[in-house]
Amino acid sequence: MRVRRGWHVCAVALLVNSLSFALAATPAPAPQSFTQRREVKLAIDDFILTDQSGKAFRFNQLSGKVVLVGFAYTTCPDVCPLLTAAIRQVQSRLTGTERKDVQLLTITTDPEIDVPKVLAGYAKRYGADLDNWAFLTGEEKKLRAVWKNFGVGVKRKGRGLIDHTPLTAIVDRRGFLRVAYVGPSPEVRLVLGDLRSFLADR
Amino acid sequence: MDTLYAQRCFNCHGANGRGDGPMAALLPVLPPDFRDTVQRKSNPQIKRLITDGKGVMPAFEPALSQSEINDMLQMVRFLSREGRDISWWENFDALVAAHCSIPWEAVLGYDDPPEEKKP
Repeated sequence: MRVRRGWHVCAVALLVNSLSFALAATPAPAPQSFTQRREVKLAIDDFILTDQSGKAFRFNQLSGKVVLVGFAYTTCPDVCPLLTAAIRQVQSRLTGTERKDVQLLTITTDPEIDVPKVLAGYAKRYGADLDNWAFLTGEEKKLRAVWKNFGVGVKRKGRGLIDHTPLTAIVDRRGFLRVAYVGPSPEVRLVLGDLRSFLADR
Repeated sequence: MDTLYAQRCFNCHGANGRGDGPMAALLPVLPPDFRDTVQRKSNPQIKRLITDGKGVMPAFEPALSQSEINDMLQMVRFLSREGRDISWWENFDALVAAHCSIPWEAVLGYDDPPEEKKP
């Protein structure tokens, strides 16, 4: 009986298999980079999180620097790869002098998965130069305060699946959030221009 | 299995594994066509890519169980064949569910199979 039932399943599988060849591939929609750029002035409170090497990282230690912050999580199958790749491109185009005055931060939106070791692997895959780029995680309670301060909404859908505001932001030398790019792929040329205008503002 | 692929892979790798998902063109490097790459790789090699990631591709090991990673491997292997796409699984699942809901014993009279009559 088991053999006969198995035969029926096989027959159905073969039928569907043959049908699959007739199925036309669904064309992917045209790519769009619908990232919005907003100018704001919002004070960012000090926070202490943990970086990719497990060390405490205090935001106020960056006072006097221009900071580019991106919110992402390492197992994101959606926009985070675009966002982190954009930050990587920004880093590679900064001059040596600019790098001393610009700090890059990636703050996780999934502390459940993104422990320091996982963030270190993520940084390595993107070829991040850790001299001026830190990947931050921490207790969810602490992170929630940071997300809220930056206006990032975070909602867990499942293990390693998070809905969050795709924010990349510039914080000026005085600790004010000045430009918010909301969308999957901030334009690198635009971000560099904004960073340089805040670098010039001493 | 198709849900796993739809949630974690589809955006970049597309419905048929050709690397033409909705996010693909925005990536710094286009995702590979499974028909070219997966066919040339062993199962352990593909599993390593899924678990450890590569470039902008996430490392899924921290988020997925071993059985989910194995399912993902099977899906990738399946899509690497010419003419396959993710909708195959959707149709397959529905047909298998329909097939299994039919009382075949009653329909085909399998209530007394010959082998069970043996002493």
